Amino acid sequence: MSAQDFFLLSVLLAVAGAVAALLLNRYGRVANIVTGVSGFVAALLGLVAGMSVLITGQGFKLMLDAGLPFARLVFNVDQLSAFMVVVICFLTLAVSLYSIKYLDEYLTKNPGVLGCLINLFIASMLLVVTVGNAFYFLIFWEVMTLASYFLVIYEQDKQSLRAGFLYFLVAHAGTALIMLAFLLLYQAAGSFDFDAFRVIKLAPAAASLVFVLAFVGFSAKAGAVPLHFWLPEAHSAAPSNVSSLLSGVMIKTAIYMIIRVCVEFLGAGPWWWGFVVLLIGVISTVLGPIYALTQHDIKRLLAFHSVEYVGIILMGVGAGMLGLALNNPVIGVIGLMAALYHLLNHAVFKGLLFLGAGSAIYRTHTRDMNHLGGLAKLMPWTALVFFIGAVAISAIPPLNGFVSKWFIYQSLFGLGVNGDFMDKVFVPLFAMLLALAGAGTAMCMVKAYGSTFSGLARGQHAREAKEVPTLMLIGKGILAVGTVLFGLGAPLIAPRIATAVSSALRLAPMSVTDGALQVFPGIPAQATLATPIIAVLFVLLLLVPIAIVVITGGAKAGVRVDATPWAAGYKYTPQTFIAPRSFGQPVQTLFQRLLPGKITSREHGHQYGPTPGKYFKRMEYNNQIEDVWERYLMTPVAKAVTWLSQKVQVLQGGNLRVYCLYIIITLVVLLIAIDILNL
Amino acid sequence: MEPNLLLIGLIQALFVLLTAPLYSGFSRVIRAKMHSRKGPPLTQNYLDILKLMKRQEVIPAPATWIFRVTPYIVMATALLIVMLLPLWTWQSPLGIVGDVILVVYLFGTIRFFVAMAGLDSGSGFAGIGVSREMALGMLVEPTIILVLFVVALHAGSTNLGAISTAIGSGRVPFITPAIWLGLAAFALVSYIELGKLPYDMAEAEQEVQEGALTEYSGRGLALMKWGQAIKQMAVVGLFLSVFFPFGNAASLELVPLLIGLVLFGVKMGLCYLVIGIIENSMARATLFSVPRITWASLGIALLSLIFYVVQA
Repeated sequence: MSAQDFFLLSVLLAVAGAVAALLLNRYGRVANIVTGVSGFVAALLGLVAGMSVLITGQGFKLMLDAGLPFARLVFNVDQLSAFMVVVICFLTLAVSLYSIKYLDEYLTKNPGVLGCLINLFIASMLLVVTVGNAFYFLIFWEVMTLASYFLVIYEQDKQSLRAGFLYFLVAHAGTALIMLAFLLLYQAAGSFDFDAFRVIKLAPAAASLVFVLAFVGFSAKAGAVPLHFWLPEAHSAAPSNVSSLLSGVMIKTAIYMIIRVCVEFLGAGPWWWGFVVLLIGVISTVLGPIYALTQHDIKRLLAFHSVEYVGIILMGVGAGMLGLALNNPVIGVIGLMAALYHLLNHAVFKGLLFLGAGSAIYRTHTRDMNHLGGLAKLMPWTALVFFIGAVAISAIPPLNGFVSKWFIYQSLFGLGVNGDFMDKVFVPLFAMLLALAGAGTAMCMVKAYGSTFSGLARGQHAREAKEVPTLMLIGKGILAVGTVLFGLGAPLIAPRIATAVSSALRLAPMSVTDGALQVFPGIPAQATLATPIIAVLFVLLLLVPIAIVVITGGAKAGVRVDATPWAAGYKYTPQTFIAPRSFGQPVQTLFQRLLPGKITSREHGHQYGPTPGKYFKRMEYNNQIEDVWERYLMTPVAKAVTWLSQKVQVLQGGNLRVYCLYIIITLVVLLIAIDILNL
Repeated sequence: MEPNLLLIGLIQALFVLLTAPLYSGFSRVIRAKMHSRKGPPLTQNYLDILKLMKRQEVIPAPATWIFRVTPYIVMATALLIVMLLPLWTWQSPLGIVGDVILVVYLFGTIRFFVAMAGLDSGSGFAGIGVSREMALGMLVEPTIILVLFVVALHAGSTNLGAISTAIGSGRVPFITPAIWLGLAAFALVSYIELGKLPYDMAEAEQEVQEGALTEYSGRGLALMKWGQAIKQMAVVGLFLSVFFPFGNAASLELVPLLIGLVLFGVKMGLCYLVIGIIENSMARATLFSVPRITWASLGIALLSLIFYVVQA
């Protein structure tokens, strides 16, 4: 079987799984098993297809004659598409295993429908990244949006409906812009085929217009600031396995399309294209963790980090575009390679973290970290994999998050060395802001892990939690292993991605590794990184403290486990431990301007203590952060849309004769238009 | 990897491992002298560590494996940083393994694990200390990266050896505003990174019981203290290898290496002397006054960037 057979089978299996799950809806657990297993096998087949394209370097093209005269259904899987297929399938593999058990939560809520939507969602993502025709792309894009929309509102509570509404609004506003961009390209190329888009050369003004439309349209879907506000809502409202796919891969399909349209189709553009992408990336990168730090809903917290990581990926894309604008293919390839590598890594660890959060929610039924805590003792394996995810996302060397971030720094550094005046001024500042975001991420992950897994349980459910089923652990385990392998395996992975990028951009292949242990950003003299050696040295250096303990007789001193931590003589209670809200408080004070809010406290009337009314009063302490984006961007837009739709309602009176009149008016207008345009 | 360089890296790690308690003991001596006390002997920290090692370790009930392995991880990571720094050579002993960005993120690794272990202990004091420590990281790390980025741009490489060679050999002139301003900014932020008075709010003994270390005892505490001492030497070492590589060995021959080693010991001692004087002549700052100094250092770093851009 060839790569294309595997690919087609994979998509067909995902669709078949969707249909089967829907039909088996009434047999809840069976439907769940069908959902999970079909997703798993489809992902496995997709992985084989994608990997074989990446390894052989031979893409494939599938053409299906669908009966539309103006658009052919073409699938064009080059190395870039194959890379995206691999990313999607790797995460799907883990999520599908996890889902088999996780979906038991939804046994009373039509699990078959949920399973059907999940598999359709997976299939549509695979199609979106491989299709080679703009018309069909928009269809699959819409299928993906709708499937994910229904998944977001699946819980049907107030929060998820609101989140779904926002998501629907932003996604379709974005799609409208994308449509316009494609229409402009179609006008110039005379065909909807991506192949035709590749060869045309647009006038500078038209190219810039396409760039702006496509970039804004796709970055709305990617969740970059300022169009990010739907993301934390939607990703926290969806079921956790879906959140994992949404954050892990769906928003990445938009990044993939930004690279396709803005870099590949349009070619090297003027300087400001790259700079705009870089700037939007930097803003998202900085704001993401700062907002995340003030969250106490664990899934919202993670979702804000997706905003950050989309920003970092866009930074890589922007640096690459600037490099291409400078006619410097080394920086161009390194920037895009760093972006794609980061995209892969983020899919792995963010997927892992969402699945980990999902496991905690599975057992405790709360997302509020104020009611969690102490789970490390009760769910040790979940705690371990969540910890690994937290280490990876905090860019701790030698795990995967660090390696790709290092490449982002190096692409910026390359710009600083070779760029023109503006690059030299701004690039070090952007590197600085990337470091700020990195420190914020580490702080936030310490908070997320600490509030969920450390200390003692602060809620009834958290006290009674127990470890999740093995299948869910295996799903997370796959991703945890991925964080290590994709970090240590950098000398194997980085060159594959670099080749995919340079072949997509039709540039000469570039060396990023010495073939054994090191990677470097195109030029070894600029810097080198050898993650396998770091790992080996680290393990060897761990022997030093162990030897010290043995030599000085520390091993014989023994260990005593005490009852509770010291609490200055008071009784240790779960509340003695730092609360999620207070943990982020220094940051709230340090970044007051970005996080306007107010702290209120209130004394409660009833008092308790040994002598009533004498010693203790119950205090309530409330720390409310105002959402600036909601107030100044989201609410006005939502209000305008509501206002407009109310006005439009006048047209829909329900009177059949009026509707006939509309049809006639439309016909007349069209006839006149055709006459004027001489078509 | 060159075997000679690796050997130098190992010697560096061993040297810093063995002298870290000495230099932190030196700090204590300076403090005592400034208090007009007799003070402990220079070797007091070695004795403390040996004593702690023999004590039974007490672990709080909520703590898990993170709490127990962190002291080992902290020490190993600190030693790894030391091996990456060109302390008395111009070449970085592990230059092919990683660069200055790796070093900054390894410092972040230590911070991350200490923080995780602090929360893992379940102590309320540790929670406050950790929250402060991580917030300090957000203030300090950006300036560190900015300064190092600009210096690396001067040298045209982020490899620490290349930076050290460029400055030490005079290829990048040392007496320029860009370098001097970078030096000043880096000195300010790395002082905060040391966690000493007046910026020890995360470890404040009188306030939050040494923050993340609250629940440590016995060998855990000994390793943690020792690891922190190595980390402090690594911070100063990073400063020295980027901004004062003068006198370091240009080649890997015995005589220049020995001269470099001796000079390194002296430079380190001088730095500790200055640090000790600053530390003991100030009262603790409040957490929310730190941004003032980090903003100042960021401003200086920006000036350094501007001078670099104008020069280029």
